Amino acid sequence: MDLAQYAELFRSETREHLSVFNQLLLDWERTPDNNEPVDGIFRAVHTVKGMAATMGYAKVADLAHRAENLLDVVRKGHATVSADILELLFRTADALEELVEASVAGQDAGMDLTGLLDRLDEATVREAPPEQRDRPRRRISFVNAPVAVGRKVEVTIRADSALKGARALIVLKRMDALGAVHGIEPAPAAIESETFDGRFAFRVETMVDAQEIEAAVRAAGDVERVTIDDDQGAAGAAATPGPGTAAAAPEPREAAGRTRHIRVDLQRLDTLMNLIGELVTARGRLAALSASSEDAALADVAVKVSQLTQALQAEIIQARMTPVWQVFDRFPRLVRDLSRQLGKQVGFRVEGKEIELDRAVLDEIGDPLVHLLRNAVDHGIEPPGERTAAGKPAEGRVVLSALRERATVAIRVEDDGRGIDREKILLEAKQRGVIDPEVDVLTDDLLVRVLSRAGFSTAREVSDVSGRGVGVDVVATRMRALGGSVEVKSEPGSGTSFTLRLPVTLAIVRALLVRVGDERYALPLTHVAETVELKPDAVTRVEGREALMLRDEVLPLVDLRELLGTSAPAPTRRPVIVLQLGDRRAGLVVDAMTGQQEIVVKSFDPPRGTLPIFSGATILGDGAPVLILDAGGLV
Amino acid sequence: MSHSVLVCDDAIFMRTMISDILAQAGFEIVGEAETGVQAVEKYGQLKPDLVTMDIVMPDMGGIDAVREIIKTDPGAKILMCSAMGQQALVVEAIQAGAKDFVVKPFQPSRVLEAVQRVLG
Repeated sequence: MDLAQYAELFRSETREHLSVFNQLLLDWERTPDNNEPVDGIFRAVHTVKGMAATMGYAKVADLAHRAENLLDVVRKGHATVSADILELLFRTADALEELVEASVAGQDAGMDLTGLLDRLDEATVREAPPEQRDRPRRRISFVNAPVAVGRKVEVTIRADSALKGARALIVLKRMDALGAVHGIEPAPAAIESETFDGRFAFRVETMVDAQEIEAAVRAAGDVERVTIDDDQGAAGAAATPGPGTAAAAPEPREAAGRTRHIRVDLQRLDTLMNLIGELVTARGRLAALSASSEDAALADVAVKVSQLTQALQAEIIQARMTPVWQVFDRFPRLVRDLSRQLGKQVGFRVEGKEIELDRAVLDEIGDPLVHLLRNAVDHGIEPPGERTAAGKPAEGRVVLSALRERATVAIRVEDDGRGIDREKILLEAKQRGVIDPEVDVLTDDLLVRVLSRAGFSTAREVSDVSGRGVGVDVVATRMRALGGSVEVKSEPGSGTSFTLRLPVTLAIVRALLVRVGDERYALPLTHVAETVELKPDAVTRVEGREALMLRDEVLPLVDLRELLGTSAPAPTRRPVIVLQLGDRRAGLVVDAMTGQQEIVVKSFDPPRGTLPIFSGATILGDGAPVLILDAGGLV
Repeated sequence: MSHSVLVCDDAIFMRTMISDILAQAGFEIVGEAETGVQAVEKYGQLKPDLVTMDIVMPDMGGIDAVREIIKTDPGAKILMCSAMGQQALVVEAIQAGAKDFVVKPFQPSRVLEAVQRVLG
C-alpha cells in the first residue's frame, strides 16, 4: 500500500497532537502537584507513536515510545513532577516536532537524538518507584485444574505474530466454546509476559473431533502449528502448517456515503479561489454586456450566472475559514520560554480562539504576532522586583485575543507592563526628523505612525529576543499588505495594547469605485463608514490642515487630487468618503463615486517612489486594471 | 450485502487508513467514532456488523467501550486495534469480549484476515 498518500494527513494530525502535548505540559507546569495532564499527554504521544510506526518513521516512533515509557512511570509515581522532567518533556515535544517534519521530508537520516533518548531512558529508570514497576495484571480466567483430563492440544503461534500472548488467549477462548479447558502450560502469567515464545499447550474436554478442534484453533489466527493428542482413545492428529486463514475478501464494492469530512490540500483551495476570482471578473463583464444590450434572454442568463457565482464564492470562502487557534496554540509555549529566558513572570491568556479567518490571512499573522508578543514580554512586562516596587503583582499579564467586528477581525496583544515611553520616542523621532518638531504630545495615532517607520526602535539594548528595530514596522508593513491596520494604546505604568484589524477574507472584497481626474480607483468597503457631499461651508482648518465638520465631529480631510497631483479641472460637487480604522476617522475627497463591485485582490510590487496609499491592484468587470486604495495609508 | 463497519480511533489518520483498507475490500464504513463514548453511542444507533476499536482513546478508552457494547449486545463483533507492547491491555480487551486484534503498524492483509476471523 502506498503510504505517501497519507504523509500530509499524518503531518497535520501529528501537529495537532503535539500542540496538545505542549498545551498540557504548560498546564502541568503551572500546577506540578496535579498529575491530571499526564493522561492527555500520554495519549497524544501514544497516538503519534502508532501513526509514525504505521508510516514507517522509525525514529519518531522510537522517540515517542521512550517518552511514553517515562510518562508511564511518572503517572504511576503520584509524586509532584520535577522541573527537570518537565523540561525534558518540553525538549521532547520540540524534538518530535522537528523529527516529524524531517521524516515527512525524508530527511531524518541525519538527525541524531542519542542524547535525548539517553536522557529519557535515564529519567525513566530514575523515576520508577522502588517496588516492582509491573502493572497489576488481570488473570486469564481459565482455571488450571489439578487433574489433567480431556484432549491435549499443543499450539505454536507464528513467529512473526505480534502480541503472541493475546493471540494465545484468543485460541483459549475459542477452545472454551468447545468444552472445558484445563492444564494450560505455561501458566497464564507467563503466556501474558513479553517473553512468551508462542508455544503453549492445554487440555480440552470436548465431544468434537480432532479436525474440528484444529479448525477452531486455526480460526483464532496466526497459528503455525497444532498437535492434538488422543488421551481418550481417539486418534491423535498431528497437523502440519496449513494454508493461512486469510479468506477471500468480499467482492469489492463502492464504499457509499462514508465520508463526512475530507482534508483538502490548501493549494487546491487556493486554485479554486483564483478560478472563482476570474469567474467574478467575468461575471462583471457579462453584467456590463447584458446591461448594454436589449436581449432579455442574455439578461436572464447574466442574472442567473451572477447568483450562482455569488453562492459559489460564499461557499469557497467558508471552506477557507480557519479558527485562529491553529496559529494561537503555539504561543503559550513561546511566551513561557521567553519569560523564563528573561527572568520574568508572565501569566498568558488567549481569548476568542474559535474566531475564524481566511486561511491566507491567518498564515500571514503568525510572524507579526510573534513580534508583538516578544515586545510585550521583553519591553512591556517589568522584572518581578520592579513590578512589586511599583505596587503591581509580581506576575505580569499578557492577553492575546481575537474578536469579530463585522467584516473585520480585531486581534489584540495586551500587556500590563510599563507602557511605552512617549517622551523618549518623541525625542528620538524629532532627532531623526520623522515628526514635526512642533509636536509636543505624542498621541496614540502619532505613536503608531512613528513606530511603524522602518528601523525605528528605542530598545535600550539589543537582546536576542526582540532584536533591534525589527518590530512594529514589520507588523505595520504586513498589516498594510493584508489590507488591515495597526492601532496602539499605551498608558505609562499600566500597559500597552496593540490591535491588528484584518479583513476576514483577502481574496474577494466589496469595493467602492471612485474617480479622480480620468483615473479610477477601488476602495475596499471594509473601512468605509459613510459618504457625504463636500460642502464648502463645512470645511475648516485645524492645526494648519483642512478638516471637515461632520455633525459634531471634526474630521481631517485628505484630497486624493492633491495626493495624486491631478491637474484636470475638478468638478464643482465632490463627495467625501468617511474612512474608519478603529477609532481613527478621516474624510477622503474624490471627484466622483462610480459604483460598487466585488473585486479580486491581486497583490503587486509597487515601483520605488509609489505613494504608500495602494495595497494592490485588480481588474474590473470591464477589463480595466485599477489600483486598490489602502485606507490605512490614507487615514 | 456487504458488511457494515464502525471505525473507532481518536486519530483521523488511523480512521482514514482503516476505512480505506476495509472500503477497498468491499466493506461499508457506516460510521466513525473518536472517543469511547461516541463508539458506544454509535454502536447503539448503527448496529454495525463489525467494530474496529482503538485501545487508547480520550473520554472512555476502547476497553471500557468494549464492556459497554458487550453489555448491550453480547454478540457484538469487535476487533481491537493495538500498538506494540500493549499485550496486557489487549488481553483485558479480549477478556471483556473483543473477538480479535490487529497490531499497528497495520498491514492490509493482516487487517482483512482478522476481520474475516471475527465475522467468520
